[in-house]
Amino acid sequence: MAKPIGIVCTGLTVRFSTAGVPVLHDVDLDIAAGEQVALLGPSGAGKSTLLRVLLGAVRPVAGTVRVGGMDPFQRGQQRSVRRATGVVRQRDDLVRGLTARANVLVGLSHQWRAGDWFTVMRGRVPQRFAERLAVLAARHEVEDLLDARIENLSGGQRQRIALVRALLPEPRLLLADESTSGLDPARAAEALRHLRTAGATLVVTTHDLAVARQFGRIVALRDGGVVFDGNELTESDVRDIYGSIEVLQEVSA
Amino acid sequence: MSSNTTPRVRIPAQRGSRETPPAPARRESRTGLRWLLTAVVAVAAVWSLWSTDVGIGSLLAGRDGAARMIDGLFPPDMDGELLSRVGIAVVETLQISIAALVIGAVLGLPLAALIAGNVGAPRWLAIPARLVAAGLRGVPELLWALLFVATVGLGPAAGVYAIGLHGAGLLAKLCSEQLEAVDPAPVEAVRVTGSTKTAVAVWAILPQARASIASQLWYQWECNIRSSVIIGFVGAGGIGQALGIALKLFRYQELATLIITVLIIIIAVDRMSVSFRARVGASTSDTATYTRTSLVQRLLRPSRK
Repeated sequence: MAKPIGIVCTGLTVRFSTAGVPVLHDVDLDIAAGEQVALLGPSGAGKSTLLRVLLGAVRPVAGTVRVGGMDPFQRGQQRSVRRATGVVRQRDDLVRGLTARANVLVGLSHQWRAGDWFTVMRGRVPQRFAERLAVLAARHEVEDLLDARIENLSGGQRQRIALVRALLPEPRLLLADESTSGLDPARAAEALRHLRTAGATLVVTTHDLAVARQFGRIVALRDGGVVFDGNELTESDVRDIYGSIEVLQEVSA
Repeated sequence: MSSNTTPRVRIPAQRGSRETPPAPARRESRTGLRWLLTAVVAVAAVWSLWSTDVGIGSLLAGRDGAARMIDGLFPPDMDGELLSRVGIAVVETLQISIAALVIGAVLGLPLAALIAGNVGAPRWLAIPARLVAAGLRGVPELLWALLFVATVGLGPAAGVYAIGLHGAGLLAKLCSEQLEAVDPAPVEAVRVTGSTKTAVAVWAILPQARASIASQLWYQWECNIRSSVIIGFVGAGGIGQALGIALKLFRYQELATLIITVLIIIIAVDRMSVSFRARVGASTSDTATYTRTSLVQRLLRPSRK
């Protein structure tokens, strides 16, 4: 298993338009290698954007990011950051028109050799990855789904395929963006358990207090700023995060 | 999160949010501009119709010629020798259209990949590709045909080059638009696995655009058949060449046979298109977005529900 890597962000500010309100504002975040963190906050708080910044997909207007000591905005280092990271998102982001098997293998495309392109095109698994894929597919109960095209799978099945895609390259950092919200409670708990036992540094975004409370460390965002960083959320902390207790009751209902 | 219960809440700016609606003064000036544009279009239309002598008068003046021609078309020539010549010409037309499609696809699809913004080809390749594609489609097929008839001589080869090159330019543009229209979320998902640009193009963009590109190629083939009829007139082979000869030699009965043949080909291809599109569209109707379609295509496409 590859060694986990840490994250250091200082003074991160992200704006999508020059005049607009910042989506992230002066965010400092230090996550040690191997740590497991819940990133909590209401919709629009900037959680997903923060994850995209870590991958070098959204450029901040100010601040620095280091993932495993590497800068995701440096040409040479961006790929290393991305190859060390596994991502699972709530949004359905598997490629339609391909089989589940091809989707899963594409997560490893940087490790392919020339011949592997044709192997994958023919619907097979390159020898070197076969065992690893078989183990993961069995663990996540997707063996029977690998031949299916993505458009023919249910939301929950796709979520499991996306999870296998993220885990197959044995990532050193796992970023899960509301990855359990499309699943029923039993599946969600199981998916979370798989993420937590993958041996990687883990950042899980969620708007669900119950999910966040399973983590030893909770970082809460609101309106693009960190409003809480600790392990015990009090009622007043929750009020700070969600704005009002009425909303909180709606959320937990 | 409702802002009335918590006035402190700042609503983060929406990505791509629209500007505020135009102020009334600006709206008024826009209405004025619209009237002006309408007037300009109306004047241009009337002026053009007037100057080109379009109208009942010119049609009436040509009625004798038309009557003679229509009279001459009947009955269509059904002579066995002619029919076998027509058959050969039809086969040649199909060969021209298919060969031109091959040339168009082989040249046009790589250009499309280089042009498409989301593929992210380096600028030193993307810009020349865009220029080449614009040049290829900017020259009309008829002009290409004249150029090739002058260089490679009369016959189907000139037609294939002419239709193929023009088609390559069109396919480059239309297919690059299909590539750009794919859902960006899966593309980013593959990109952030650290895949190369080539891998992203082949495994994230192309699979999503495959059906619409296939549809585009089919439509190009339909266009190629129609084009080969037109450019046949300048000696570029196929049924068009036969049509041109019959017309020039005033063999109207032969012309009638050829016109009927052209109609049969076009109707047959349209019918084939229906079943082709039904098959291609069924698997990916939710992802395929067609930015540019012919009227025929729109009429033929099964309604999506």
